[in-house]
Amino acid sequence: MFLTRSEYDRGVNTFSPEGRLFQVEYAIEAIKLGSTAVGIQTADGVVIAVEKRLSSPLLVPTSVEKIMQIDSHIGCAMSGLTADARTLIDHARVQTLHHRFVYDEPMTPRACTQALCDLALRFGEDGKDEDAMSRPFGVALLVAGVDHTGPNLYHTDPSGTYVKWKAKAIGAGSEGAQTALQESYSSNMSMQEAETLALRTLKQVMEEKLDGTNVEIAAIRKEKGEFRIYSQEELKECITRL
Amino acid sequence: MTSSGNAPGGFSFDNVIRNSMLQQKGYAPPTARKTGTTIAGVVFSGGVVLGADTRATSGPTVFEKNCQKIHYIADSIMCCGAGTAADTDATTQLISSQLALHSLATRRAPRVATALNMLKQMLFRYQGHISAALVLGGVDFHGPHLYTVYPHGSTDRLPYVTMGSGSLAAMAVFESKYKEDMTADEAKQLVYEGISAGIFNDLGSGGNVDLCIITKEGKELIRGYAKENERKYRRPAGYIFPHGATPVIAGSEQFKGPEKGFSVVAEVAPAQDTMDVSA
Amino acid sequence: MSVLRPNASVMGLPYTAPGNAPRGFTLGEHVDPEDPLEVGNSSNPHGKPRAIGPMGRRFQPYKNNGGTVVAVSGKDYSVIASDTRLGSGYSVPSRNVSRIIKLTDKCVLASSGMQSDIAVLHKVLRIRLTQYQYAHHQEMSLTAISQMLSTMLYYRRFQPYYTFNVLGGIDAEGHGWSYSYDAIGSHEKVRAVCSGTGQNLLQPILDNQVEFRQTAPEKKPEELSLEPCVELVKDAFTSAGERDIYTGDIVELAKVTAKGVEIEKFELRSD
Repeated sequence: MFLTRSEYDRGVNTFSPEGRLFQVEYAIEAIKLGSTAVGIQTADGVVIAVEKRLSSPLLVPTSVEKIMQIDSHIGCAMSGLTADARTLIDHARVQTLHHRFVYDEPMTPRACTQALCDLALRFGEDGKDEDAMSRPFGVALLVAGVDHTGPNLYHTDPSGTYVKWKAKAIGAGSEGAQTALQESYSSNMSMQEAETLALRTLKQVMEEKLDGTNVEIAAIRKEKGEFRIYSQEELKECITRL
Repeated sequence: MTSSGNAPGGFSFDNVIRNSMLQQKGYAPPTARKTGTTIAGVVFSGGVVLGADTRATSGPTVFEKNCQKIHYIADSIMCCGAGTAADTDATTQLISSQLALHSLATRRAPRVATALNMLKQMLFRYQGHISAALVLGGVDFHGPHLYTVYPHGSTDRLPYVTMGSGSLAAMAVFESKYKEDMTADEAKQLVYEGISAGIFNDLGSGGNVDLCIITKEGKELIRGYAKENERKYRRPAGYIFPHGATPVIAGSEQFKGPEKGFSVVAEVAPAQDTMDVSA
Repeated sequence: MSVLRPNASVMGLPYTAPGNAPRGFTLGEHVDPEDPLEVGNSSNPHGKPRAIGPMGRRFQPYKNNGGTVVAVSGKDYSVIASDTRLGSGYSVPSRNVSRIIKLTDKCVLASSGMQSDIAVLHKVLRIRLTQYQYAHHQEMSLTAISQMLSTMLYYRRFQPYYTFNVLGGIDAEGHGWSYSYDAIGSHEKVRAVCSGTGQNLLQPILDNQVEFRQTAPEKKPEELSLEPCVELVKDAFTSAGERDIYTGDIVELAKVTAKGVEIEKFELRSD
């Protein structure tokens, strides 16, 4: 695709004659440089796990946050420019809190993802909209949450599209990881099996050896309805099962 | 005016200064019961027909659903009253008794014009502070007469009149349907329609239509000539309160038994089931 | 604590305008000092009308058009009712104006107060409900509506919708509930409530007959089922129509059950 580079890849809101928005496509490319993240939905909940690239032994692993909570019942994993994800997640946190304020009920993960995508599309260069971004976000999210229908897993990308998945991988190793998920996923798997599958999938595509410091895992269970990032001990316990 | 005891007669103005001070400090004076009212009268060949609704209100609340607003003045003179209920009652009673005395003194049947003069002189003296708006009608030596009296003492003599908050509704009917030299039945029907218009279109008026037909032969007061506003629904189950349904507040046992009389020994705060007055 | 109600007064004293307060005409609006419905008289929730100049008065944007609204809820039903008389002073501009709005199959709102504000509030609510449905792919629940109404009213804290709302319906568990509101969003979840010009007449009846207040615990009858409850509401409205001049003509009564909303009408006296 880079062969078609032309004057149309400059403006974020200019279509090429072939009907493409290059800046958005490039933003999606940025995700393919990001660390791998996977999400698996079961009947009882959703598990999300991410790889942390620790570029130096001097880097403190706990300071790399790639899974974040949005509301008590929604969380997300990211891949790509994680700084961009902060802006998105801040927005989603405001939206979910606002929803509770206005309606006295939790926002559905679907509506939350929709709110994220609304922001993802607010880019442009005319400068009239003060709050608008100058470029598309370079990050993809896996949004996990529960609502009255049960557990949900959504994937969003810089184009503002969102799709519901049973199991999804994003980031540098997403191609291999997705194939692995497709082979091993079953709709009646337990949460423990999902934890194992998530970590095993990451292990397959990671360059470094998977250990307790370079992955992060979180889950939300239907019966508790609370999104929670696993502690070191819980993570180690999952790794021993691999 | 008659005097009672040592009072010089007339109204007492003792509390006027105190009340204006209270009012300035924001205490509302007690509201009088006003008869937001439709009253009317029509002259026909040989007599008059008077009509009135039967609602008395206090603000937005109906105080009395079937009150009588057609007051007795003399055997062949009646007076419909609108305004403050106490004023119309007292004024018509006062004039009625004065007219009776006048009749005895002069040994003549009272005339409508006499009643009219007494009313307007009294109302004028009080400069409109007596809120009585009246429709005075009757038959005397000179034939049928119909007047309106305003609270300040001005009067009109007309063939058809209306008064009160529903006067516009009633007058609309009269203006379109009044004819000269109607029969008694035609006049009754017209007054009924006028009062009815007031009852249904003026919120200050309501209830039944009262009519009074006065001719030289005599008078007929018809309470409830039309009753078009009866209660439309009652709960089939009714309201049954079993004996002892209302709980006794703890500590009030000492008030039982009238033979002991009432003596408060000590105030006891109710232990439970108290009213929530924290708001 | 105090809630904003049509008959609220400051410090428990009934309000009177100072004796020397100028009376006059405002732009486009005649203010009748005797009119009990006129905001600015004794029922004024906003305090004293302020005089400007010897003949002028501030523009008074609020007027109460009267009417009574009721919501009574039981184990698995809710009954919401309102009369349809529109009052203004001693006049009856209309005898058949609906103050009830069916918001969902499980939720009905009834509002009294100023007719124009009621109309706008209902319109905006409709829009908000539709927007919610588009955004969330589901119908709004009773609790969500109850909270949203409160925030919508409080949003206009300093220029409120002059409306007094009662909300009734069935929650996610299938239980009936009523909600009462003041004009600026203070709300409470209750069994039975009423608002409007007949409030003082009806609320004690509902307290006693629905919540069995002032009744010894061992003497409490069984909770009302739907039909006896409808009969009670009809009787209560008929009584209000007997004594409140702003309540009358017709009552619209909505029964909310698991099957949906059913609306019936019955007549009150029209004088």
